[in-house]
Amino acid sequence: MEAINNLLYGLTIVAKPVNIIFMSVGCILGTVLGMLPGVGPATGVALLLPLTFTMKPETALITMAAVYYGAMFGGSRSSILLNVPGDGAAIASCFDGYPMTLKGKAESALAISAVASFIGGLIAAVIFLFLAMPVARFALRFGPPEYFVLMVFALSATASLTEESPVKGFMSLLFGLMVTTVGIDLQSGVLRFTFGIPELQTGIDFVVVIVGIYGIGEVFKNYETIKETGIYALKTTFGRIWFTLEEWRRCIWPILRESIVGFIIGVLPGAGGTIAAMMAYSNEKRLSKEPESFGTGVPEGLAAPEAANNAASIGAMIPMLTLGVPGSGTTAVMLGALMIYGLQPGPLLFEQRPEIAWGVIASLFVGNLICIIINLPLAGLLVRLLSVPGRLLYPLIVVIAFFGVYTINFSVVDFYMLLIFGFVGYFMRRYKVPIAPMVLSVVLGSSMENSFRQSLMLSDGSLKIFFRSGISIALIILTLLSVMWPIFSKNIKMRRVSTKSAN
Amino acid sequence: MRGKAVWIVGIMAFVLFISGMAIAQQDYPSKPFEFIAPAGPGGGWDTTIRMVARVLQEEKLVPVPMPVINKPGGGGGVALAYLQQRKGDPYTVAVYSPPLLLINLTGQTKLSFKDTTPIARLISDYGAFAVPKNSPYQSISEVMEALKKDPKSVKVGGTSSPGSMDHVQFLIAAKAAGIIDLDKIVYIAFQEGQQLAALLGGHIDLLSTGLAETQGPMMSGDIKVLAISRPEPYDEGPFANVPTLRQGGVDAEFINWRGLFGPPEMPNYAVKYLEEKLAQLEKTQLWDEICNTNGWDKSFLPAEEFKAFLAKTNEEYKEVLKAIGFYKGE
Repeated sequence: MEAINNLLYGLTIVAKPVNIIFMSVGCILGTVLGMLPGVGPATGVALLLPLTFTMKPETALITMAAVYYGAMFGGSRSSILLNVPGDGAAIASCFDGYPMTLKGKAESALAISAVASFIGGLIAAVIFLFLAMPVARFALRFGPPEYFVLMVFALSATASLTEESPVKGFMSLLFGLMVTTVGIDLQSGVLRFTFGIPELQTGIDFVVVIVGIYGIGEVFKNYETIKETGIYALKTTFGRIWFTLEEWRRCIWPILRESIVGFIIGVLPGAGGTIAAMMAYSNEKRLSKEPESFGTGVPEGLAAPEAANNAASIGAMIPMLTLGVPGSGTTAVMLGALMIYGLQPGPLLFEQRPEIAWGVIASLFVGNLICIIINLPLAGLLVRLLSVPGRLLYPLIVVIAFFGVYTINFSVVDFYMLLIFGFVGYFMRRYKVPIAPMVLSVVLGSSMENSFRQSLMLSDGSLKIFFRSGISIALIILTLLSVMWPIFSKNIKMRRVSTKSAN
Repeated sequence: MRGKAVWIVGIMAFVLFISGMAIAQQDYPSKPFEFIAPAGPGGGWDTTIRMVARVLQEEKLVPVPMPVINKPGGGGGVALAYLQQRKGDPYTVAVYSPPLLLINLTGQTKLSFKDTTPIARLISDYGAFAVPKNSPYQSISEVMEALKKDPKSVKVGGTSSPGSMDHVQFLIAAKAAGIIDLDKIVYIAFQEGQQLAALLGGHIDLLSTGLAETQGPMMSGDIKVLAISRPEPYDEGPFANVPTLRQGGVDAEFINWRGLFGPPEMPNYAVKYLEEKLAQLEKTQLWDEICNTNGWDKSFLPAEEFKAFLAKTNEEYKEVLKAIGFYKGE
């Protein structure tokens, strides 16, 4: 088999001591940076950029890739333990990860998420190995109209996240969309809601919103009770970092399914880990026999997004390596690095510099292994965070949040944004407005608006363009199903109950 | 009495100030520079200024450190506002290119190149106009003919919003080709690499972008570059066989120049010093190598000539932006 031979060849590249060492450094760096709220893989890779000029190109790329998926491993640590996601891709890990911690199951949550990330990464790497080219070609069939329908489908996931109070959920969603209108309108060049502040011209970065809503908002909320509880009111046994067989049985299918979903989303340029994880979560909630248990700390609700976001980070490297198209902020920096070496990514890279292309692909297998080896013992250490008194822990979270947010744009304006969204997050919690719809629409809003308007410019204003391809029609049907599903499943349940009572 | 004391203190302060300036001039540079990339890490501005700092350091041309600071935002407008706070500072240096003029002309910022001190132009990069491999268009003049018949027939894509560089470089070519309704040409803005995916997938008809972005997919045969905006064709390298706009029958060129700028009222001795160091940098072998890997042309212009070049270029952009109704000046 040619693919196996290529993999073996790649492994000989990876096995060089210098590559193993730098890859391990990348995994550790990624995990640590991923944990810090606001500091994501893109920042990590950019920080590394000047350093990599001294390395060989394959070493540089392997290290950067390691930072990328390492951050996916790390991002969920703070989601699970503190309800503060490290970056966008780790938001969905809060939904069931933090409730698990509240139930005293932090150890198994950390273990499950690490194993789910590992399997997600592995599955994605296997698909990468065998199907990179056809998958990349398929992704090209997504034009603006297909993207728009995909974004709408992703947004429809909120329907399943807000069954309890649809009106509040819808308000939250609209508020998120409003936030994304700030900045230069990409299609007309008009400044919108910037109030003469040049920093706002590029819009409000969604990571600032997330860290504000979750990180600072969580701190504000806990500030109310900090006097009474004094210490962080969590019970934990500091047990072994592992999970039960029962938990494993519940998770394995969601992990396998959502790895593939995450991978496909990751391959599409511009989509990425956040959308992948959100979709994975809502998919599993819909498929579950007990959807109402999601959000109360079920392991599959954590495993699904974790597998998906790691798979997405690996999928995102496909268009970059095979076509020279960067699919995310992180891969854009990696592409920039390749070009500084005078290398041109694309099909020719596989022919002219196979040591780089196959070295990177093989490193995905080894790197994921290194990540899980690092992350399991690290989890044992991190879980001790729960015994840190709130008086110490919360100021620390605030400091890290400000620091992390500054690394995104090096802008002081983001500090104000962080505080504003901190208050927004606090009041949303207080008045029980669901947060997830807003966050999802902040992530999706501007690309959704842009792809809608790009489509209409292509079609000269005709809406027919959204029905032009099989992909978009399939996505429209999925969207309709997804919105109807809650109503549908309720009816079925009610019927079941009534037939039972009739008997 | 009181008035006299004030006078004496005033004169003493003035003398100190003058001598202080003289000292500053002699010892210059005596502390680290602050090099500013007006965008995030990894892009063209960031790469350029980091490479300049690297060569000045490694060739021991400048004895003090030159750390690079990223000040992204507002298409360079944030860094431009920051330069205003550093008025007269001899240690602040930023890199800029055509967007410096464009963001002012389109009204994104009130500040213009006149609110900086041009130090020197360093390099030139160029634009490329690419189509998918199965495109019906074989040359740039065919594209222009189609646009003359129906300005909406060719959907042009690029990075960043209308009125920005990718858009303007195509319009300059279209104008030279004799197209009158420049404002009717459909320009679709993309982000995060989606423009290339949109071209490869055949969702747009033509991509107007920088040379570097097209090189990989052109060499693999996935796209065809119809023309480049360089005044002369390349003798060697991957773009050697690609016609220039002029060779394609369109009498136009577009230079993506990059140069260094100081804050407004940067002292003359600082400008002279940096101008001279950059002229030396231009002659090093290391700079040659860097320009080669990045596909840049060396195009050094000293401060005075650079200033004249900027004024002339500004007028040229203004005309095109007026034609599409994007000019927001007086």
